[in-house]
Amino acid sequence: MVRSTLLALAVALGMGLTSPPAPAFAADALTIYTYDAFAADYGPGPGLKFGFEKICDCTLQFVATDSSIGALRRVQLEGASTKADIVLGLDTSLSGEARATGLFAPHGLTFDTLSLPSAWTDPDFTPVDFGYFAFVYDKTKTPNPPTSFDALIKAPANFKVVIEDPRSDTPGLGLLLWIKAAYGDKAPEIWAGLKPHILTMARSWSDGYGLFLKGDADMALSYTTSPTYHAIAEKNPNYGFADFSEGFYPQIETAGILKSSPNQALAQKFLGWLATPDAQAVIPETNWMYPVSGTVPDGFPPAPAKVLILDEAAITANKSAWIDEALAALR
Amino acid sequence: MPRSANLTIPRRPLRVIGGAVIALAIAALIITLFWSILRAAATQQPSTSHVDLGYLIYITTLQAVLSTALSLVVGMALAWALNRLRFPGRDLIIGLFASAIVTPGLVVAFGLLSVWGRSGWFGFLDIPVFGLGGVVAAHLIFDGAFAARILLARLDGIPDGRLKTGQSLALDPWTRFAVIDWPALRSTLPGLAAIIFLLAFTSFPIVLLLGGGPAVQTIEVAIYSAVRLDFDLSAAVQLALVQIAICAVIIVLSSALAPLSTSLDRSGEPRWRDAAMARWLQWLVLALALLGFATPLLAVLADGIAGLGDVLVQRAFWASLATSLWIGIASALLALLLALVIASARAASSSRLSRIVLGAPAYAYLAVPAVALSLGAFLLVRALGLLPETAAPFVVVVANALLSLPFAMATLAPPFEAIARSRGRLIRALGLGGVRQFREIEWPLIARDVGLVLALSFCFSLGDLGVIALFGTQDFATLPLLLVRSLGAYRTHDAATIAALMLVLTIAAFVALPKLFERLGRADA
Repeated sequence: MVRSTLLALAVALGMGLTSPPAPAFAADALTIYTYDAFAADYGPGPGLKFGFEKICDCTLQFVATDSSIGALRRVQLEGASTKADIVLGLDTSLSGEARATGLFAPHGLTFDTLSLPSAWTDPDFTPVDFGYFAFVYDKTKTPNPPTSFDALIKAPANFKVVIEDPRSDTPGLGLLLWIKAAYGDKAPEIWAGLKPHILTMARSWSDGYGLFLKGDADMALSYTTSPTYHAIAEKNPNYGFADFSEGFYPQIETAGILKSSPNQALAQKFLGWLATPDAQAVIPETNWMYPVSGTVPDGFPPAPAKVLILDEAAITANKSAWIDEALAALR
Repeated sequence: MPRSANLTIPRRPLRVIGGAVIALAIAALIITLFWSILRAAATQQPSTSHVDLGYLIYITTLQAVLSTALSLVVGMALAWALNRLRFPGRDLIIGLFASAIVTPGLVVAFGLLSVWGRSGWFGFLDIPVFGLGGVVAAHLIFDGAFAARILLARLDGIPDGRLKTGQSLALDPWTRFAVIDWPALRSTLPGLAAIIFLLAFTSFPIVLLLGGGPAVQTIEVAIYSAVRLDFDLSAAVQLALVQIAICAVIIVLSSALAPLSTSLDRSGEPRWRDAAMARWLQWLVLALALLGFATPLLAVLADGIAGLGDVLVQRAFWASLATSLWIGIASALLALLLALVIASARAASSSRLSRIVLGAPAYAYLAVPAVALSLGAFLLVRALGLLPETAAPFVVVVANALLSLPFAMATLAPPFEAIARSRGRLIRALGLGGVRQFREIEWPLIARDVGLVLALSFCFSLGDLGVIALFGTQDFATLPLLLVRSLGAYRTHDAATIAALMLVLTIAAFVALPKLFERLGRADA
């Protein structure tokens, strides 16, 4: 990580030569748009603010919108006049779309020592944390959870799952990509097979997961680390995730620097620091995702044996068509 | 409108002008919001997103028509039962019913599941709560109970004289309903039906939670998706215009139907009991209503008890409570002011067209999709050069006041109309000015309704926060925002407790405010 920090500084100095003189670090303020759970009291926001302000001689301000998509839409609406230096909380399935807005500047950092599902080469967005989408179930009620999409389709008709709407929610979109990555052109058949088991398609992860916790569904689309939350924070070991043989689709949350930001160097310093074990130590037990570096706390499940990946260009080009295809199969 | 009616209405040009100014201001605000979005849309690339508009309109309309028809039938039955029956705790039950409509949709949906869901109190009955049936059932909880509350006020206002005459004629329960009750209810039904239709037509969280998938949707959901996922602002505006056009037909129809005369006297204890069979039916209606409406809300309260200790020690909770209270009070007062001006202007105007012009904008706000409002408000605030964070509280107060305006109008417009018709001659004969007309004639008669309007608007803003989704305001948190944030961080027990506390506040406001104002009105009379 030392290397990437040095590199960040080098790039920062380089930038200083080519762009108008940037204000010095001292007393600078960095404004970060993110989703509200990230900035909340019990989210990673306060810990990261505390950690970075100790070393940066600056102030860090999180501005919370209702979702990460909301944060992106806000900078799109604000354009060059935005106060934001960084947008944090987008994920890799939105990277292509965010890049296409032309609002983001290259971060100039390298990340070659991180523990991520795949090597990080994105020039515009830096990794924040990651997780794997999974169906979560209650072990006391479902002793034998399905082991694949196929097994879920063949489960008795009264076995119900809650999913999220791919149009309004990132896990909902994640499931869509998961099925696409696993089944390709056969995805509509999988959706049609899942249809009788889908209790409802919630607007947001919180609505859907709430339904599951209430006992209205046998499983909910969430993350492999959701049972970890219940085990660690609530001392309740009764939740597990269904180990699907098709493999798992990751969600990597990202951050990007806005071209319009006058604080490019400071923003790069923050994003470089964010990937260090120091900063990452804050993440697991506040955001309940895997850290991109450093140690994974006890109780977090090991990485899945098989991880599915989709090409960013394919996602960006086909997302709308894939959503229409899934919705048509469900209707 | 019969020509003779014009002669009895006191001339109040100032009232008409005041109402017109507010109505035009609301219309201008809505147009400005749309203009802001269109201006932003002009800079966008045309997108490829598309929706099956025909199916959307079909399913949205079907759901809204079902919700409206059932709500009105259930509301009338329940108002009829509550009007005839007296029992301990009646006021509390009325407060509970009235509070349903202002409870956040998510809270009601979860309450419904606590009772009828698979792990609910009656889960063993295996009643399907997802799909079209579940959506309509949830709307029925909101809107049926709300309809009952509004219609009950009309029935309770039937003068003793009419009742005595009816009793001396020994009318049977059916004839009594047809001859005495129905005329009192009829004037309120169009406005009420319009509101319920609009609420069901634009419903969003309930449809997504209980709809069971893409087969049951609303146009509102498609608009949300166009804005949030596709960021296709022109498609969003087109869909929003379709929604508004359909809603406008409903609004204009209901505005054009002139409310008929409503009586204003308050009845005392009912001395006229219906026949035994009818009374059995009344108790049955009440019991079913309690089972259907009250149990989900009681479940919300019961679910909330567990987390009470955790929530009450959070500083964030008390800060949000304080914010919610002042936002609620400010928007309730604003909504009341707007409703008083528009309702009195409508009552003072005699042409059908001017009544539509005065009334429609108040309802139009309901037809505008929440996500479009949020987006438009954000763009407008920025265009005005304000910081979104600074403007957020004002935007929320105005948005919430406008959101509850249709309900305030539905409550206040009929009594104002009735006063103009029944007391018009008296007011003209005495030569009272507008201020004295209000103070000496109108205020004592509408004081209780004013309390109801304040309670409604207060609770509406307690429950709603949609408009500041983009504003970026972690320091400006209200109770519903705290609830959503808790849910988003796995803290479901906290969320359940916040929901229960909001419900308690709502019921308290509904029981206390109308009583308080009735007393104030009597003291002034």
